[in-house]
Amino acid sequence: MPRLTIDQTTVTVPEGATVLDAARAAGCDVPALCYRQGCRPLTSCLVCLVRDCATGRIVPSCGTPAVEGGRYESETAEVRAMRRSALELLLSEHVGDCLAPCFFGCPARMDIPLMLRQIAAGQLRAAIATVKRDIALPAVLGRVCPAPCERACRRGGVDAAVAICRLKRFVADADLESGAVYVPQPAAVTGRRVAVIGGGPTGLAAAYYLAAKGHSVSLYEREDRLGGRLWRETSEGELPRDVLEKEIAALLAVGIEVFCGQAIDSPDQCESLLTRCDAVVLCCGAVSADAAARWGIGHSGRGLEVAPKGFATSRQGVFAAGCAVRGKAMVVRSAADGKEAAESVDQFLRGETPVGPSEPFNSRIGKMAAEELVQLAAGSARLPRFEPSDPMIGYAASEAAAQAARCLHCDCRKQGDCRLREYAAKYGASPRRFAADRKPFSQDLRHAEVVYEPGKCIQCGLCIELARAADEPFGLTFVGRGFDVRVSAPLGRQINEALQRAAAACVEACPTAALAWKHDGSARPDGSAR
Amino acid sequence: MADLDLGYVDQVVERLGRKPEAVIGILQALQRRYRYLPRAALDRVCEQTEIKPADITGVATFYNQFRLKPVGEHIIAVCHGTACHVKGSGLVQSAFERELKLAPGEDTDSFGRFTIEKVACLGCCTLAPVVQIDGRTFGRVAPSHVGDVLADFLSHCGNGKSPAPAGGGVAAAAHEGEVRVGLGSCCVAQGSGKVHEAIEQALRQGAVAAGVKRVGCVGMCHQTPLVELVMPDGGNKLFTKVSPEDAGEIVLDHFRPRGWWRRTSRAVARWLDRWANGAGPPDSRCAGVDRRDPVICAFLGPQLHLATEHGGRIDPLDLDEYLRNDGFAALRKCIDQWSPPRIVDEVKQSGLRGRGGAGFPTGLKWDRVRQAAAEPKYVVCNGDEGDPGAFMDRMLLESFPYRIIEGMAIAALAVGAHEAILYIRAEYPLAVERINAALARCAERGLLGEGLLGSRYSLRFRVQEGAGAFVCGEETALLASIEGRRGMPRLRPPFPAECGLWGKPTLVNNVETYALVPWIVRNGAAAFASIGAGASKGTKVFALAGKVRRGGLIEVPMGISLRQIVEEIGGGVPGGRSLKAVQVGGPSGGCVPAALADTPVDFESLTRVGAIMGSGGLVVLDDADCMVDIARYFLHFTQDQSCGKCTFCRVGTRRMLDILNRICEGRGRSDDLDQLELLAVEVQRGSICGLGRTAPNPVLSTLRYFRDEYEAHLAGRCPAGRCKALIHYRITDQCIGCTLCAQQCPTQAIPMTPYARHAVIDDRCTRCDTCRQVCPEHAVVVE
Repeated sequence: MPRLTIDQTTVTVPEGATVLDAARAAGCDVPALCYRQGCRPLTSCLVCLVRDCATGRIVPSCGTPAVEGGRYESETAEVRAMRRSALELLLSEHVGDCLAPCFFGCPARMDIPLMLRQIAAGQLRAAIATVKRDIALPAVLGRVCPAPCERACRRGGVDAAVAICRLKRFVADADLESGAVYVPQPAAVTGRRVAVIGGGPTGLAAAYYLAAKGHSVSLYEREDRLGGRLWRETSEGELPRDVLEKEIAALLAVGIEVFCGQAIDSPDQCESLLTRCDAVVLCCGAVSADAAARWGIGHSGRGLEVAPKGFATSRQGVFAAGCAVRGKAMVVRSAADGKEAAESVDQFLRGETPVGPSEPFNSRIGKMAAEELVQLAAGSARLPRFEPSDPMIGYAASEAAAQAARCLHCDCRKQGDCRLREYAAKYGASPRRFAADRKPFSQDLRHAEVVYEPGKCIQCGLCIELARAADEPFGLTFVGRGFDVRVSAPLGRQINEALQRAAAACVEACPTAALAWKHDGSARPDGSAR
Repeated sequence: MADLDLGYVDQVVERLGRKPEAVIGILQALQRRYRYLPRAALDRVCEQTEIKPADITGVATFYNQFRLKPVGEHIIAVCHGTACHVKGSGLVQSAFERELKLAPGEDTDSFGRFTIEKVACLGCCTLAPVVQIDGRTFGRVAPSHVGDVLADFLSHCGNGKSPAPAGGGVAAAAHEGEVRVGLGSCCVAQGSGKVHEAIEQALRQGAVAAGVKRVGCVGMCHQTPLVELVMPDGGNKLFTKVSPEDAGEIVLDHFRPRGWWRRTSRAVARWLDRWANGAGPPDSRCAGVDRRDPVICAFLGPQLHLATEHGGRIDPLDLDEYLRNDGFAALRKCIDQWSPPRIVDEVKQSGLRGRGGAGFPTGLKWDRVRQAAAEPKYVVCNGDEGDPGAFMDRMLLESFPYRIIEGMAIAALAVGAHEAILYIRAEYPLAVERINAALARCAERGLLGEGLLGSRYSLRFRVQEGAGAFVCGEETALLASIEGRRGMPRLRPPFPAECGLWGKPTLVNNVETYALVPWIVRNGAAAFASIGAGASKGTKVFALAGKVRRGGLIEVPMGISLRQIVEEIGGGVPGGRSLKAVQVGGPSGGCVPAALADTPVDFESLTRVGAIMGSGGLVVLDDADCMVDIARYFLHFTQDQSCGKCTFCRVGTRRMLDILNRICEGRGRSDDLDQLELLAVEVQRGSICGLGRTAPNPVLSTLRYFRDEYEAHLAGRCPAGRCKALIHYRITDQCIGCTLCAQQCPTQAIPMTPYARHAVIDDRCTRCDTCRQVCPEHAVVVE
């Protein structure tokens, strides 16, 4: 049994093991995409690189046999930089969005495609959970939001954008009328106290997410009812008052102590609040320079001065968000601020640097040509966008499901288990380092259960091996050579003929979403989870 | 497709077998028959054999040779080798595309008459730029003359071209003299075949008793067709650039026809001809020169012929002549006197290193294979010479087939192999033909096969044709190809010496390496080791081309300087231009600047200056060559030839090319040079095979020595005036208004203004250079 040294750790591995096995045994999380237990090493992705101390060479660990006395470096800056470059090269030809354009269109970064798939599958309980993970007031926003998400929606380039905002309202209304409104699973009580000043959209959102994180939240509102500018800036026709009231009541169910009619604006009040609470979040709407001075916080000209990330003011433990910082903002922007400030405060309370939520790793296709959109649209409902038969009531359940099925599924089918994304995030790989003209987008939907997206393929060859091992009559092969090589069914056959037996193994082994299930676990049309 | 004769598929399968490894041979046979690979034929192969659909598709789409679409009646192969590139092959290619009115992305004209193909290198570097139409070679093709080339081709195409004569010459009667005609394939491209025919005809008509002998390459490609006369008294005369018309004359002038009547009538006829045509003295270029002529001496003087011993003197296929010239003496010695360890030891002592590029000690490799326990063992000759601008191996295979066979036999004996395989690229039909003929003749005499030279040692040879993939020059890819797979290199170790063909110990050496072995065995390791410099012993064969007066194939002792090669052997840079750099080692090598021209040619020194020995292409560059363009040219080649397996090579070389394209097109960014350098080093370090590891060399070496040129491009200037996006054509007041440029301009970018100065409309101009070439007044300038 050979003994090897990986960085400073000496390990013994079984005969026939590879350096990758040894490095992992030594506790290094060596990334690998084309490697799979039980398959011969393909040494194609080249992200599992290590440095052979004997020769100074950088080698793929998956294909290097472990031999007695071998010494390798795994977690050095040099090796990690090489791994990152390999990932960046793969990303430079990756034609795929991790997250859909609508996700980035939404200031609150709501997982819109997931919500749409849940609606289409009739899973409204799951849909409201998805919505409320990022939007605390969906029934309100479903009525007053200018829907920047819909401007980003790719379906707009085909016929008309998916009615995202309407559908979100449908989910929220259904929840409010269900008789048992959705309340997130409460987190363990932390014992930390947070005061939120202002019960408008920002304050409500901040209070909601802080409470959901297990903190004890006191919400102070100068008026005698919560809602702030939502009352002032909207009409009954736009936002029926009963909806507003019901939604606020539903939100409070998470467990928030409310103090209405209590303005906090004298320095004394501030000080006493700060002594009683671990953190204070100022969500009190537009703030004058004088008011800022009372808080002992600088004024940017628009509002309270905060750190570039994380909403922290210059006073320890005091945060500010929404119009208090921006002067004015869309309601959805305020609600998003509230959610992000809550995240930041939570980080602060856990002793971390308060920076708010981190931007998720994302590979981006960018603008798509008309013929690409046609391909992309092939998998979604051909139905045109239509408004609800009764605009006041909104979509009927069947209408909503049909409209939601218009979603093109721009987001990745393997968001959670794409290893390329996982390692790219971990290694801080930049998809833009080798920005280049991208290959055209295409997707193959001929297989009943599997979607093949060549643009996401990293040519690792695992599916070819697995199809061969399963003795597929046609199987898959590399076609062409060099940069233009692609994986394809042979002799003019199609993917459905190629993967008659090995589909499940190939989808599971594929390190990206080049081969993915058509319908992901949460929302197959029949509602069953995979 | 209904009328496709699938019975032929069955015949081919019957002949070549049903095993997966037969796939490449089967595809080659099918393509010879159908000119492309029809789907129905491939389906049929899968039905009839153990070859799987996935494998046949993978192989058919990997190799350049295979076509999956029908092609036009005639194929125009435009050579994009290095020498052709620097002499404007890109312009020639676009000129053909315009002439045939091809839509963008199309390769066949609408009448289905011609299909254009880019080829990496036709190996006629001294004729650059070169195109081949159905095997007929046209040299020095100017973009403005592509119409004439097509017309010329079509006017001859009914008559059929004369292929290189395959049979032996007129039997030689040694004492009555000998006519030697160089018939390597580049000589044939220059018309040596016709010269050979003309001589034979003249000798028959004149009843001259001299023998005509086809000989291998002399290396003086700049002077072909080459005819050497060996007089009955032993003296010789060399005639260069001989035309078929001149050939008969030359022979009859020097050998006395039999019988006084023939002699007299010939003299009278000649006198009458001259008188009638008012011809002056015979063309001076056809005057015979002695091998002692100063120019010839300069070319041949510094050379030393070991691998090319007897070059230009012996008939490549004449086995008796080979035997008379010490042929198989080395093998005989090994069989009769030396044990395998003794042979290996001799090779080790000689200091011979692999001539394929990396320079691994040959003896060490032999020893590893010899000591490997597994059986059987294989000996493989790597004849997949793919570097653009390199044709040494082709020349050796064509001119010295027996010597290579002998070298391989010695190696087989030394390592204990009983099967020897020559892998030769399909682009070298004459080499394949000669090796096959040589093997057949050896077999007829019982020299090979069951009993090697009559001993009890059995050794079987076979030839496998490559199918057009540069990467198959990498040994593990080459072995994959022999096994009938896509030529994808794999990670080493294990090395082929332990785990090679079919997982068995395999010795893979380059053609030139094997060619040197008989010399070493006959003359002793010490004799070989006494030649050369430092750790680089013996000689190296190079293909010398580019901006040099005398291009050709040369064999020089290691340690000679690049300057000696360029100036003494090559006669320096022509046209009053100055030497800028020498590109050594092709796409894996680098550019050695003129300031370092005294660098000795040995493995270590070349590596030190950022080049490599490589397989032996030497392309001389002058001050009109753009170094950024050269780097881009080579990278374009390797990028295109990457097998596509590992990320650094597949994507990394492409991203490097993106940056270089940007720079050449004037869209470079300020951090591009740093990015390029960083990525180049990463590709070098991260790639798993030699192709990827060396592909950045041309970029890194030009960045090292010519960074100022890159910077000029970033500033929007191409100092050499080569990069189309950065140059403009202008007509000066030298213009006499002859309208020639306006008539010739393919894009109507020059309005016709008779008797007045012309002008170029810049945004219509495609920089095809035609106007500059046709202008009689040199009034067109590039700025």
